[in-house]
Amino acid sequence: MSRHDVIVVGIGLAGLTAAARLAQSGARVLVLAKGVGATHHSGATIDVLGYAPDRVEHPGEAVDALVSERPGHPYAAVGASGVAAALEWFQGQVAAGPLAPYAYSGGLEENLLLPTAVGAAKPTAAAPVTMTRGDLRDDAELCIVGLRGLKDFHATLAADNLARAGHRTRSVELDVTPPSGSRVDATPLAFARAFDDPGFRAEVAAQLVNRPTAAERLGFPAVLGIADPHAAWADLEHRCGRPVFEVPTLPPSVPGMRVFATLRDAVRRAGGKVILNAVVTGARATGGRIESLRAHIGLRETDFGAGWVVLATGGFAHGGLELSSRWTVRETALGLPVSGVPGPGEPRFRSDYLADQPMARAGVATDAELRPLDAGSQRVYDNVLVAGATLAGAEPWREKSGDGISLATGYRAAELIRPAPPAAAGPVHTGAEA
Amino acid sequence: MRTEVLVVGGGGTGAGVAWDAALRGYDVVLVDRADLAEGTSGRFHGLLHSGGRYVVKDPVAAVECVEENAIMRRIVPDCIEDTGGLFVTTPDDDPAYGDRFLEGCRTANLPAEEIPVTEALRREPRLNPGIRRAFTVPDASIDVWKTVWSLARGASAHGARILTYHRVIDLHRDGDRVAGARVRNELTGEEFDIEAGFVLNASGAWAAQIAHMGGIEGVGVVPGKGIMIAMNHRLVNTVINRCTMPADGDILVPVRTVSVIGTTDMKAADPDEIPVTQEEVDQMLDDGERLVPGFREARALRVWAGVRPLFQDTKAGAVADTRDVSRTHAVVDHRERDGVDGLLTMSGGKLTTLRLMAQDLVDAMCAQLGDERPSRTAEEVPPGNEDGELYDIGSRLRRREDTLQEEQLICECELIGRGRLEETLRRRGSTNLDDIRRSLRLGMGPCQGGFCIYRATGILHGVGRLDGAEATESLRRFLQERWKGMWPILYGDQLRQARLDDWIFQGLLDVEHLPDGATPPAFAAPRGAHE
Repeated sequence: MSRHDVIVVGIGLAGLTAAARLAQSGARVLVLAKGVGATHHSGATIDVLGYAPDRVEHPGEAVDALVSERPGHPYAAVGASGVAAALEWFQGQVAAGPLAPYAYSGGLEENLLLPTAVGAAKPTAAAPVTMTRGDLRDDAELCIVGLRGLKDFHATLAADNLARAGHRTRSVELDVTPPSGSRVDATPLAFARAFDDPGFRAEVAAQLVNRPTAAERLGFPAVLGIADPHAAWADLEHRCGRPVFEVPTLPPSVPGMRVFATLRDAVRRAGGKVILNAVVTGARATGGRIESLRAHIGLRETDFGAGWVVLATGGFAHGGLELSSRWTVRETALGLPVSGVPGPGEPRFRSDYLADQPMARAGVATDAELRPLDAGSQRVYDNVLVAGATLAGAEPWREKSGDGISLATGYRAAELIRPAPPAAAGPVHTGAEA
Repeated sequence: MRTEVLVVGGGGTGAGVAWDAALRGYDVVLVDRADLAEGTSGRFHGLLHSGGRYVVKDPVAAVECVEENAIMRRIVPDCIEDTGGLFVTTPDDDPAYGDRFLEGCRTANLPAEEIPVTEALRREPRLNPGIRRAFTVPDASIDVWKTVWSLARGASAHGARILTYHRVIDLHRDGDRVAGARVRNELTGEEFDIEAGFVLNASGAWAAQIAHMGGIEGVGVVPGKGIMIAMNHRLVNTVINRCTMPADGDILVPVRTVSVIGTTDMKAADPDEIPVTQEEVDQMLDDGERLVPGFREARALRVWAGVRPLFQDTKAGAVADTRDVSRTHAVVDHRERDGVDGLLTMSGGKLTTLRLMAQDLVDAMCAQLGDERPSRTAEEVPPGNEDGELYDIGSRLRRREDTLQEEQLICECELIGRGRLEETLRRRGSTNLDDIRRSLRLGMGPCQGGFCIYRATGILHGVGRLDGAEATESLRRFLQERWKGMWPILYGDQLRQARLDDWIFQGLLDVEHLPDGATPPAFAAPRGAHE
């Protein structure tokens, strides 16, 4: 049986953050994950707190206010300072990562206000520099650029809704075909690969120059390159002669893939190991400590010895939590107690889709050191920490808080396991503005 | 507006009546308060009965089913999949019922045959291996929206005007005669009168409410509520019935890409108040488990309730168990019953016999008018069914494969291409994504519109039908409508899917913070232009 200082279960933003940060501190880290998922679904903006319930302008202050009001919220374990530290680390990873000089900009002082693919204005704390020129707090006129073969981005609809909210916006649709995709139905990834090619960018810019688009800035679907997105974006700005920004599309998300590539690279560079298609099915424990995890890998069951376990398997959306047809909720990897589940006779969901949904806050409750608690508030295991969407107490979509929670609790879990700052982690830069 | 015949109700019966009357040469207007087949017809399990369900308990209904099943296969083949059916004796059922069942089938002239249990399990491997007897019958599954639209389009082609979203708010009386109706366009609020030579009340569970507007009381239609759950994939490829007296949760029907289990039966005081309860959902899942072990672990997509219009003789008093009410139909003759001319009400019945119900109602009208015009619906084929081929499950995929490189795929679950969506938007002229769902099955697959509805909204807006405010409202309404059918049965993988959809609509798109929407205009094309 192989032995690892830390086994991280799950490879979304929380798991990757914990794994990279731990590996950089010198721990021998193994990541076991069923498959990639959460990052590829995410728009890759770092939403820390967008609504509480009114629109949040200063996320740092608002996080602390939220924590004092809702001590069961995952942010209680980290506070605004914990979010700030994690965000700074994350921005450093991206800026020093394989896609550099691709970088994130933003922070906890003020939320950016970025347009979505349907034309809403979404508050977010940080975003790739390829997106931030779309900030709607700036009143420069926008032109949203659609690509005919990309069905997951409707430029005229987004532009119309932005205009309704008072932002001067127009739209244009280009007929360009990525060489590796169908002319009428190409995926975001096919377009992203095409945008890595200067010839394709030249074609796009040429089509735009021939259109009456005098707008001061251009918003594209977030498909501007996957291998070298910074070059693709900067070159497009240069060719179009005005600021360009990306707007996230429906999944699969190209900027989400960039986050995944960046953090997985950080894990590997620091000596961490990643096994995909590994489903954790149980654990062996003695005296309140997990000794080893058992995982299904392919057709085999394998045991992995663990000093520590970081559980970051996600919530209901990604299989970390599961509601059975008998209406019981299970934490799927370790069978940890789940709190916040509506009791028998209480509504699990409300009939109004956009209402507060009782089941949304279900998850694993922890103490301030992210250790899972049972119904009597006793630690279940001393060496298990829980991070990300598995945690109880948040409504990440309504709050626009999911990225911040995953990033900050993943980072905090790593710090709790390895408090000493790393000597061998290599240079870490702080979030460079592009 | 004037017409010879005003049909109230656009479900299976009303569309059948419009088609029948139009074929006989009458000038017809059909009104429905909502979309076609949005009421009871669109909320059933999709079973084209062989008649087996009724052979013991309701032989008259059984014989009607046997005959109409054969006729429907002939006239609307494109709407029917020849799945065949099985009646199976589960470990909880009395095997002796099977003998009464076979006897009843013989009497009803229904071709049923007992097959060995091993053969039944070979055909349907997921069936409960504890079944003790199995009988084959010619059950089939029927796409009700396709059927109703085909009949409505056929009626239109013969001059009928089909007015959806037009609610009858009053019936006009001229002495002892019903002379027409006042209707309100539910989308614009505009009200107007329709003068009619004759009014045919085909409003099903709402028939008593309509008759009441004409001053006629006590029409005996008992709303019987039933719930159904659509399960992802086809757990079976044959209709499965429990071989027992009709009970709850005893039918599992493979329809298109899903299988539907039904149903319950509860008397409903108001046909518009039919909430799905937790107990009903649990009961249905347990009933499914009896037919197909592991049913509870399968993925439930959507739950809904419908109201049957069960006929009740007003003189017989209150009906306790609606399942004891005959499933056959009756024309309520208001001349005889109430001394009122110009109005007939259809009561009772079931989707399988919609053609016969329509024929009987129009026959009764002809008799009152002294008109000798025989029905032609047993022979005439409505639009879309001309090639005489029964639908088969692979046809949509086959068509899709043909155009793989030329057409954008908008709904991956139901294989709907952009061309088909745009053509339907044009043809129906509707701006309501839920109407489009019924026409195309858009958003009816596993992701319940998680991906296609953003795309469809973008296309609806992009083709110039809606401005941003209207598109936003249309999107939000659809999200609410789909949620209504999802939340009572959210568990397992479908909850996972729902959370992913939340991620998209709330986390990524932030639809809840778009500027307020505006009520979309009803139709962008001229009304009644359903060619």
